[in-house]
Amino acid sequence: MNCCLCDQQLRFVPSWRGIFLYEVPEIACRACKNEFAKISLTGCKFCSKEGGLICEDCRYWEEHGYCEVIESGKSLYGYNEAMKDWFHQYKFLKDVLLAQVFAKELREALAHERAMVVPIPLNKEKLHERSFSQVDQLLLSADIPFQHLLEKCGETLGTKNRQERMATQQLFRLNGEAVPKQLLLVDDLYTTGTTMRQAAKTLKEAGAVSIRTLTLIRA
Amino acid sequence: MQAIEAFLRGRIWIKQFVPFPEEQIQEVIDKGDATIVSGISANGECARCLENSKEYVIPFECATCGKVCRYCRKCIRMGRISSCTQLVLWRAPSIPHARPRDFGWQGHLTPQQENASKAISESIRKNEHHLLYAVCGAGKTEILFLPIHEALQNGLRICVAAPRTDVILELSPRFQQAFPDAAIHTLYGNSPEQTDYGEIVLATTHQLYRFQEAFDLLFVDEADAFPYSLDQSLERAVKKAVKPFAPIVYISATPSKTLQKQIITHSKIFRRYHGAPLPVPTYQALWNYERHIRKGKIPAALKNWIENRLKRKQPFLLFFPTIELINQAAPLLKEIEQTIEAVHSEDAERKEKVMQLRAGKLAGLATSTILERGITIPHLQVAVIGSCHRVFDRAALIQIAGRVGRSGKDPTGEIVFFHNGITGQMDAARADILFYNKEGES
Ligand SMILES: [Zn+2]
Ligand SMILES: [Zn+2]
Ligand SMILES: [Zn+2]
Ligand SMILES: [Zn+2]
Repeated sequence: MNCCLCDQQLRFVPSWRGIFLYEVPEIACRACKNEFAKISLTGCKFCSKEGGLICEDCRYWEEHGYCEVIESGKSLYGYNEAMKDWFHQYKFLKDVLLAQVFAKELREALAHERAMVVPIPLNKEKLHERSFSQVDQLLLSADIPFQHLLEKCGETLGTKNRQERMATQQLFRLNGEAVPKQLLLVDDLYTTGTTMRQAAKTLKEAGAVSIRTLTLIRA
Repeated sequence: MQAIEAFLRGRIWIKQFVPFPEEQIQEVIDKGDATIVSGISANGECARCLENSKEYVIPFECATCGKVCRYCRKCIRMGRISSCTQLVLWRAPSIPHARPRDFGWQGHLTPQQENASKAISESIRKNEHHLLYAVCGAGKTEILFLPIHEALQNGLRICVAAPRTDVILELSPRFQQAFPDAAIHTLYGNSPEQTDYGEIVLATTHQLYRFQEAFDLLFVDEADAFPYSLDQSLERAVKKAVKPFAPIVYISATPSKTLQKQIITHSKIFRRYHGAPLPVPTYQALWNYERHIRKGKIPAALKNWIENRLKRKQPFLLFFPTIELINQAAPLLKEIEQTIEAVHSEDAERKEKVMQLRAGKLAGLATSTILERGITIPHLQVAVIGSCHRVFDRAALIQIAGRVGRSGKDPTGEIVFFHNGITGQMDAARADILFYNKEGES
């Protein structure tokens, strides 16, 4: 088998752990994997952005009516060149298989999660067009059970600036499933936090008590 | 020809991306002029690139069709194709339409070039495949002009395919000049989209995936690796792009034995257009060169060679087996001479640096891959560092040696294989060059 990113032949190094426990198979070579920048645990408590305890984006939300809708959050990777390439090939070229590249890391981050794992959804038309939901697929590849609680309302972000986005009404509505107290919201890319804050607020108003977030990438 | 026919004829295209209104596409389908095929066949083969291995044709839960679909990773950069993707294919046959066509080429051919040119035209008339076995610097493109002009006048649709983009880009202006009234398309990754009918298509081999039974005549340039042992999908792409029984002309300086056996009609040119023999490689030991360079030292024998070139003001190329080694050597080379630059295949300034070398603004270039084929740098000298490395096979070494002595003004030059042990590939390359020179004399 070849590396799914550079197409060089993969050399498997069986580990002792792999013999006794279930291990997610690696489909990218080590050289390619090393190109991605893992985020250390210091940084913003809501999104892992490097720097202070709360980043500028998150401070904005905390000060503008979204105070404490999210308890804490983290992101696993920075948005460097390698990640931009991966993201482009996964989301826009629709290379579904690439979800597996981060299966192991997502599994490590979520295997012992007690809260209900809730993916950020795509709207119906978008899902039909893209043929897969990139967040669901990441979780499926990592073999993490999840439950959808939200539906995306019509409009998507795109060209609007933050103020305009703020002014936009609700991004999400409930899909009718019961909302438990403890939730973990999962998304692929964290840019300004609009998506997460809106989703969390909708769920909080529906009875969720503690909402944490996990994103694969912090832009 | 209707605009939609001009676009669709010979192409195999994702329906969604056909640049015509939905109703118009439906109309030609209803009439039976065009047909729809599934992107991935029931037995798991991609209709565009013909990939069929499980490693590249991947099943997934498709939200578009609501079923388990398969998609092809091999040609995904041309827009993903899955089982539920509809591809449009033109079906109505065309009748070739002969008429006189302009010819803008005014050069003249050497007797050997002329013989090859005539032999190729003859093969085309007889609908036979042909192998043009010609050394680097034989003037291959000129040989093709007359046969292509004849084919064009006969109303044939022609394609010239080559593995690398720079070769295609270099052919493009020469073809525009030679065939001023022809619709010429130049296709490579990310090339601007053309929606009309290309009479002459210059394309990288990968771009052939976009065609099906399109061409009456196909030239495969740099067919050194044919039949492709590693990437069979490229070979399938060539076969798919031509009409059944259309002649294919393979062009190579180092054709494989298999190809030489497969193709019955050959023409050979072992002499360069200027008549001088090919420079023959010499060997020089460079023991443990990798370790020395890694430790920050250019081995003495190589340093000497470079200094001699600098003294004589001769431009030079240093070929390295890996990018890693170039990166390690680059600062060390700069210590010898500031104007030695390094380039690699993804370097955006690559072309610029080669032009600077030619203009005498750079003393030398360290490079990882075979540089632009068409560029002739007078007085060029070449060293291959680590010619024993497995990336330097016979064909690659012959190509590299072919950079030297291209100019008629100075057909000589040094080609040195710096090695850490002589390999069979080095010997084979040298033996071939000696053979060409001997054959070229007679
Ligand atoms: Zn890789
Ligand atoms: Zn933050
Ligand atoms: Zn394909
Ligand atoms: Zn489908």
